[in-house]
Amino acid sequence: MFTFSQNKQEVPIVSHHNPDGNQWTIKEKLWLGLSPDEYKSQMLRNPVNWALFVIFAVGLPILLQRYFFGLDTVTHASNDYPWGLFLGFGLFGMVPLSASGFLLGTTVEIFGRKDFVPIERLALLNGLLGYFFAVVYLEVDLGMPWRLYYPMFVSLGPAAVLFLVAWHVATYLSVQVAEVSSAFFEWIGWLKGKRFIKSIAIGLTVSGIILSTLHQGALGALFTYAPSKVHPLWLSANFQWIHFFCSAIFAGLSMVIVASTLCKHFMTWRCDRRFLDNVDRCTIGLGKGCAYALITYLVIKLVGIAHDNEWAYLLTGWGQYFMLEMALAVLLPMFLFAYGVKHNMVGMVRFAALISVLGVVWNRLNTALICFNWKLYQEIPHWKEVWITIMIFALYFITYRFILYRLPILYEWEGEK
Amino acid sequence: MTINPKAVLAAAIVLLAGTLPTTGLALEQLDAPETVTIDAISKLYGPVEFSHKRHSQLARCKDCHHHTTGQQDMDPNCIRCHANSPEKMVVSCKDCHTKKMFYPEQVTATDNPNLYHIDKPGIKGAYHLNCIPCHVKKNAPSGCEGCHAMTDAGKKMFRTDVKGKAEGAKHHE
Amino acid sequence: MKTLINRRKFLQGGIAASAAATVSLAKKSQAAHFEGYPDSMGVLVDLSRCVGCRSCEAACNQEQNLPTPEKPFNDFSVFDEMHHGQKRRTDETAYTVVNRYDVPGMDHPLFRKIQCNHCQEPACLTSCFVNAYTKTPEGAVIYNADVCVGCRTCMVACPFYIPTFRYSSAFHPRIMKCIFCYDTRLSKGKPPACVEACPQEALTFGRRNDVLNMGRQRIRENPDKYEDHIYGEHEAGGTAWMYISPAPFDKVGMDTTVPKEPILNFVKDFLAIVPMVLTIWPALFTGIHLLATRKDKLEQSKKTEGEV
Repeated sequence: MFTFSQNKQEVPIVSHHNPDGNQWTIKEKLWLGLSPDEYKSQMLRNPVNWALFVIFAVGLPILLQRYFFGLDTVTHASNDYPWGLFLGFGLFGMVPLSASGFLLGTTVEIFGRKDFVPIERLALLNGLLGYFFAVVYLEVDLGMPWRLYYPMFVSLGPAAVLFLVAWHVATYLSVQVAEVSSAFFEWIGWLKGKRFIKSIAIGLTVSGIILSTLHQGALGALFTYAPSKVHPLWLSANFQWIHFFCSAIFAGLSMVIVASTLCKHFMTWRCDRRFLDNVDRCTIGLGKGCAYALITYLVIKLVGIAHDNEWAYLLTGWGQYFMLEMALAVLLPMFLFAYGVKHNMVGMVRFAALISVLGVVWNRLNTALICFNWKLYQEIPHWKEVWITIMIFALYFITYRFILYRLPILYEWEGEK
Repeated sequence: MTINPKAVLAAAIVLLAGTLPTTGLALEQLDAPETVTIDAISKLYGPVEFSHKRHSQLARCKDCHHHTTGQQDMDPNCIRCHANSPEKMVVSCKDCHTKKMFYPEQVTATDNPNLYHIDKPGIKGAYHLNCIPCHVKKNAPSGCEGCHAMTDAGKKMFRTDVKGKAEGAKHHE
Repeated sequence: MKTLINRRKFLQGGIAASAAATVSLAKKSQAAHFEGYPDSMGVLVDLSRCVGCRSCEAACNQEQNLPTPEKPFNDFSVFDEMHHGQKRRTDETAYTVVNRYDVPGMDHPLFRKIQCNHCQEPACLTSCFVNAYTKTPEGAVIYNADVCVGCRTCMVACPFYIPTFRYSSAFHPRIMKCIFCYDTRLSKGKPPACVEACPQEALTFGRRNDVLNMGRQRIRENPDKYEDHIYGEHEAGGTAWMYISPAPFDKVGMDTTVPKEPILNFVKDFLAIVPMVLTIWPALFTGIHLLATRKDKLEQSKKTEGEV
């Protein structure tokens, strides 16, 4: 944060030793080496925090209302639309955006592309937090949030797709915690833990690939339970899981590009030279991956339509909406990525990434809400539902920022690692 | 045709009670009762004082009694077997249409492979299915309370205590 | 050597996981050939008989101890109610509702009762990840509120829009849905309350096979009176509650696009890839890893050899 660097000239904590030659305590590390007063004043100076404050001031009472007086006090309690924004955006939107962890893990650890190491940790953290907050959204939406562990330990329904999602998200979350924990171990100075994680890195990464393939696909497969409810253009029983998996690839990569762009511009003080010098090159590399994933996605989307012979639907109003989605959320970013990569235009790649992130969220909202019950009527979420959704996203943002400020994600820890 | 001993007993009781004609086989309109009290169930709605005399002037015997009175039913499905059916010992509705319906004894009746009438309604169904279409056609009362008043148990089940009741039960004329 | 150990560890994990997946799939394939319990019960709803008296709704409310309705059950203004352009549907206060349909070309309206159709292979059951649903041998699809987590996937999966959620309760929410009066009546050999209450015998209760035969007989004997189709014989893989109608089914608010096979069949494509991914991916990606990093390894071993 620029306000922070203006306030404190010396380099923020990047090693165990403070300028006096003593060890930083954990508490000092948490306060970023500032006194509580200094910390508070830098916090209040940031206009983003004021916006966050407003979101929470309104949102927290609404959230309490949800927990004490029932879901129907904050949503439309629709029996036709059992899933609203909490899952439509929070689960189906956040999970593909969090595919970054397994994608960069695979690139670096499995394919041996060490040139992506500078943003690997950012991608891992992005994955971990995305999944974690998808679960938070789920906890807002579930009727009995206190029974979250039931599908694991109390009553098992292993033949259900959601069972797969639950188990895979839970195990993948632990895999991601393990992957990100090496940064945490460096920060607290527990090298044994870090070495252990390093020794199982390959195993973690490969299990990450399996779990991600399956549950990204499973989220898509959940809609195959509703073949007569989701509009046929957004549902292809045979290809749904591939559509969801493939779109998660460019979604995850694009999300890392967006996050790294934000870090580069608004958190420069926290980035080290290695990150800053490499981020543009890595962005181009990721953009290339996105372009490939997008063209694959476009092809399998067309294959899906051809397979079910749904061309006639393209002439209807829904078909036009579908083509609009394809044009804005697939073709446009695809061309921008391709052009930007070919001509080494980082700005264009970043813009394409932003579009493709929004595009994937749009696709998930279309599948889960807008084109769901297309024969009935359109459900427009209650404003309180929208507000809680925004507030949880704000919480995600704060947590993300809190960790980036501290752990060696954007910079390398100095000294023994 | 096998005759259910229970039905015979029921018929006997009915006969003794005098609600049905006391004659044997020769059933003439004159032999028919003037009124029949329909109270086989009368749980949610009170019994119906059915003027048999009046109805017998408005409809033919077979319209209600099928082939049992000796009058030939011309329904193509029925004449396949009942083209020359003689009049029966019993003609009262409840002799064939059971008061209890859809309980194991009726459900398992289909186990009899020789049973053709697998779909015979119970007494309540038989009355309503037969009465209402005619009442509708002839502009007679066709709402529930047009024929029988709701009992307290009925009022309880229909939650008539709840406010917000609009007009009466005249939704189908 | 190190990678080898890792790989082995990892494969073990993979095998355990795929074993788990195979178990779950074995269950599936069993379900694929499930054609319903032999003597399970069913109900034939004859729309030509229903007069819209709402006795079934009243009886259901009483039998299931459902909340007090907004209007009494002999108030027929409910047939004019529209919510989001839709006629009434089941909700947390009503397991069954009757709606009126004015069919073009017919001189009188038709009435249709909806409730859980008690599918042979219920989508709610197969989509539930905590096994909260059970298809009983009597034919009822019942629900166990004690294990439900309230994810509402069953509501998404049900092609008939039947299960509803008690959104109004913060501490005791649950799915609310017709259970064929299983606890109080069906399991004791009694017909469900709505069937017993129906004055018209628009609802005929019996063994599914029997009522199916009755439906066929009614259509055969009155070909002019009925559409030649029994809705529910094959819809969604077959349901315990079936309908015959004098008007085309889409004219009485029934979804004729509901597939004629179990909803689960649409999910099987995905379920089939699960063991594939679980077994092929580990080998594939560890292989790629070894290939991709072979150069580095070679250089490293050369280096160490040189040092020795």
